[in-house]
Amino acid sequence: MDGLDLLKKNWNKEQESDKLSAKDILPMLHKKSSSIVKLLFYISVGELFFWIIVNSIPYFTSDSYKERLDQIYSDNAMIILSVFSYAVIILFIYLLYKSYKSISVTDNARRLMKSIINTRKIIKYYVLYNLIMAGISMIIALYYSFHNDPDAVKLLEEIDGKGMMILIVASTFFTAILIVIIWLFYKLIYGLLLKRLNRNYKELKKLEI
Amino acid sequence: MKNELEQSFVELLEKHQNIIHKVCRLYTNNYHAHNDLFQEITIQLWKAYPKFRGDSKFSTWMYRVGLNTAITLYRKSKRTISTQDFEGVAFKMTSEVYDDTEEQQLKILYKAVHQLNDIEKALVFLYLEDKDYREISETMGISEVNARVKMNRIKNKLRTILNP
Repeated sequence: MDGLDLLKKNWNKEQESDKLSAKDILPMLHKKSSSIVKLLFYISVGELFFWIIVNSIPYFTSDSYKERLDQIYSDNAMIILSVFSYAVIILFIYLLYKSYKSISVTDNARRLMKSIINTRKIIKYYVLYNLIMAGISMIIALYYSFHNDPDAVKLLEEIDGKGMMILIVASTFFTAILIVIIWLFYKLIYGLLLKRLNRNYKELKKLEI
Repeated sequence: MKNELEQSFVELLEKHQNIIHKVCRLYTNNYHAHNDLFQEITIQLWKAYPKFRGDSKFSTWMYRVGLNTAITLYRKSKRTISTQDFEGVAFKMTSEVYDDTEEQQLKILYKAVHQLNDIEKALVFLYLEDKDYREISETMGISEVNARVKMNRIKNKLRTILNP
């Protein structure tokens, strides 16, 4: 007898020790799910708020920063820029919502995995967008201060070639470290969370080749 | 209204619970993990129940949700670390089989199936449930031909595990 046939023969036998009554099942309906989709959802919302808070904390804490921002925001370009960034956040929230809605446990296995991976991608792009924006605004801020801030201009004049080199190397070094830390952080969170899912998705895709 | 829905769901689940137990038996190997997965599948079924239209059989619908939960959604909880081995418990159901060698073979077989990966286990599950390749391909999202090829490979793999 083929191995699986033997298993099949015994497959439908019920095991008394497993059997649950309606009384046992009912409380289960009200227990909290610990599925990865739920966790992914919490992490996404967390990330969304994290970046919104990061972007607005300075505005609430430092008076001088607030003044400067108010000054900047009187500029038309800045108003357009901030409208743009809020539009992007709303767009991401919308995409995320749509993507979560598309996750259905009654889809076939492959489609279910794909929609979870897609959801994850949206939040990844959101984080990437924030990092790029942070980089760009840092460059713009530096450019502005070295042109308009008298202290910074003076510093720049005093620095010689060697000092400039050190400044560039140091800032590159710190930026690189920051990127590595953020990358590791994400690898850890999503790597652990989606390791099994990714492995299974790959396995299914392999079947299609 | 909600209570009525709960009531009908619980009744259906009680009747068909063996399907979930069979999924759990394939994907977990200890008592706590079994219960954990059973609970998660129940939660997912309950969440999806309002959308269950009855155009497919309740049991067919359960296969899908059960397998999807086991393969994709379920996160092994920390409790599963306690490795009170399931072997003894899982094979009590063979107590009706008086043939010693058959029982022994069955034990080895279960052990071998546990060594397969998640996708392979899903295919084995559907095969054991007597599903045809059309349904297997629809449940997994792969083509019928590939489901058939893969199933043959799994059979061979099991054969090698059983007779190294």
